[in-house]
Amino acid sequence: MAGQTDIELIKNGIRMDGRKPDELREVKIVAGVLDNADGSCYLEWGNNKVYAGVFGPMECHPRHKQKADRAIVQARYTMAPFSVNDRKRPGLDRRSSEISYIVSQAFEKVVMVEEFPKASIRVDMQVVEAHAGTRCAAMTAASVALADAGIPMRDMIPACASGKVNDVVVLDLNKEEDNYGQADLPLAIIPSTGEVVLLQLDGHLTPEEFELALELATNGCMDLYKKMRIALENSHGGKA
Amino acid sequence: MSEESSVTTNRKLVLPGDLMETKSKPGKGIFRSEGRIHSSVVGYSSDKSGYINVNAMAGRYSPKVGDKIIAICVETGPSIWRMDIGASFNSTLHHSESSWKVPFGDTARFLAIGDAIWAEIFMVDAAGSHQISLKKDDSRKLYSGTIVKVNPTNVPRVIGKQGSMISLIRENTSTRIQIGQNGYIWIDGKGEDIALAQEAIETINREATSEGLTKKIEKLLEK
Amino acid sequence: MSSDSVSNLMKGHMESLAKEGKRADGRGINEFRKVKIETGMINTAEGSAMVHLGKTKVLCGIKMLIGRPYGDSPKSGTMMTTTELAPLADQSFDPGPPREKSIELSRVVDRGIRESRMIDFESLCIEEGEKVWTVFIDLHILDNNGNLFDCCTLAAAAALSNTMIPNVQHGVSDKDVKLTVNCWPISCTFGKLGDSVILDPTSEEESVMTARFTVAHDENGNLRAAQKGMNGAFGNDEIKEAVKTARASDNVLREALKGIQG
Repeated sequence: MAGQTDIELIKNGIRMDGRKPDELREVKIVAGVLDNADGSCYLEWGNNKVYAGVFGPMECHPRHKQKADRAIVQARYTMAPFSVNDRKRPGLDRRSSEISYIVSQAFEKVVMVEEFPKASIRVDMQVVEAHAGTRCAAMTAASVALADAGIPMRDMIPACASGKVNDVVVLDLNKEEDNYGQADLPLAIIPSTGEVVLLQLDGHLTPEEFELALELATNGCMDLYKKMRIALENSHGGKA
Repeated sequence: MSEESSVTTNRKLVLPGDLMETKSKPGKGIFRSEGRIHSSVVGYSSDKSGYINVNAMAGRYSPKVGDKIIAICVETGPSIWRMDIGASFNSTLHHSESSWKVPFGDTARFLAIGDAIWAEIFMVDAAGSHQISLKKDDSRKLYSGTIVKVNPTNVPRVIGKQGSMISLIRENTSTRIQIGQNGYIWIDGKGEDIALAQEAIETINREATSEGLTKKIEKLLEK
Repeated sequence: MSSDSVSNLMKGHMESLAKEGKRADGRGINEFRKVKIETGMINTAEGSAMVHLGKTKVLCGIKMLIGRPYGDSPKSGTMMTTTELAPLADQSFDPGPPREKSIELSRVVDRGIRESRMIDFESLCIEEGEKVWTVFIDLHILDNNGNLFDCCTLAAAAALSNTMIPNVQHGVSDKDVKLTVNCWPISCTFGKLGDSVILDPTSEEESVMTARFTVAHDENGNLRAAQKGMNGAFGNDEIKEAVKTARASDNVLREALKGIQG
């Protein structure tokens, strides 16, 4: 977050990419795209492109991580070297490790882990093209992949970010807005209860701006949730 | 919070979290929250005989006592064999559940890694671990043919209404076929007959939910 | 299917089918699975391609960055190949540092491209002895159903074929130009299954075959790279036969590659 306000990211209520402040970028979700994984999802969000794959429940490796009374969710988020303009070295870095960890925590809230003692549910998220909001895209894709794998859950988890550019609170920052904006707030919720399972804030917001940002991101999540449902219905040839 | 409210509760495609408005008792694929019943998986609901179930469209095999299954040996121990049955965890076959007299430490001579058996689930405990038995009914080691794996949720489709689909395949390919509830299927016969039966079964697995599947399989078997 | 176990029965069945020139999925022993190639989908990469070989899926991204040339070739660009066995591609792909399998794979694909002189390294010189282009070939395996060697080589070739050198972004000149490609190495991988040799093994076939042989040819029918892997053996005649078969069978892949040239 540069926080610079001399770059005009929003003019007369219209953003650089033509969107209104409360508009999401275009999202496309396809479930069941991989053959090996028990469940999978391919998601495009603006120019973000993410694959998510799930294996399990299965025996927990390494053994010492296994829990006697429930399953653990082992989520891993990585970005391909070519996913960013400035090639990224392969492997996990601190940012990816942090995201992997908080995503694991969030899913352990909704996945019915008590049904599978000593097991592990492996969630792998691969970002192959990144344009801001990748952790939200990855988490959303992972939710769909978990459902596609038949893993029992209390609900799916849509994730969406809001932020602030040129003193205006907006939904779903694109790359320029993320680089030059003043705040970035990724959010993930449980649609049926509204509970927040992931929330981070980078930048600065007044209390009023925070409430507005929260509301915008929540609405974004609900819109996303509708698309997630459609993706799963389509992959099973039915309508729910 | 969510806009999803009641869904009619029989033969509907439901998603995790969907509310099931019914007085029936909760069965599988269901969870309770604040006195209400919700689906926990993607699947078709079935509200019959006072029970509401959601049949998951995906998922590893969940062993049930009495299920006939095909198992593949993945490890041998001094008095047991560890068997892959396509479930979350491998199953155990204890030497006392086979009709062999197995000297301690000599298990591999009777069933080696990679060998397959037609057996039955005879125990599932509260912690979720399960055991199989080679002593029941026609349980036996398999010596010929091959094994094809399908999604366990597609097993009813492979069998067909009153066995119509599987009979169709058997007759048109002159093969012996035994279908494990775990989605592992044994096919025996001549090489090319097995290949045709395998193709039919794999097609059913791929297109289980599509229309006109029976016609498609009939056509495929005419080859 | 989730489980990796292959029964000895399946092994016997596949071996006897192979003796009759057939495979469990209905193919002939010298037949490739269906190929699908798409290119240019990754905007952040200088070139990209997604290849489906049967159910195996590999995504390749090309990045070009400015670096220093090697001391002994001051006028040549350089290249580096990496392969990522993404955990979502296969239950047995554990996250962690690259294992022998991944390293062998990237080295074989790298050799196929490098030694065939597919990339015109001389055209990548910006300032002799000081600045050259480095081509990064990053292969991302998304779904493993066998024969990653051929799928990766094809994905790399397809991605390189639509790569634009980012001159403008890096201030080298005022126009981006297409990366010059000299030839098209196509690799064919064989497996020894019982007494038979099969082309383009699936992962089930890979788990029962005893030896593997990969050979790459260019469009003139000349060999560019070869590698034998696993701990079994091929007979001398089998190797010669495989090389002949490769030249005859690689058309399918070559046509698919030509198809995306536009």
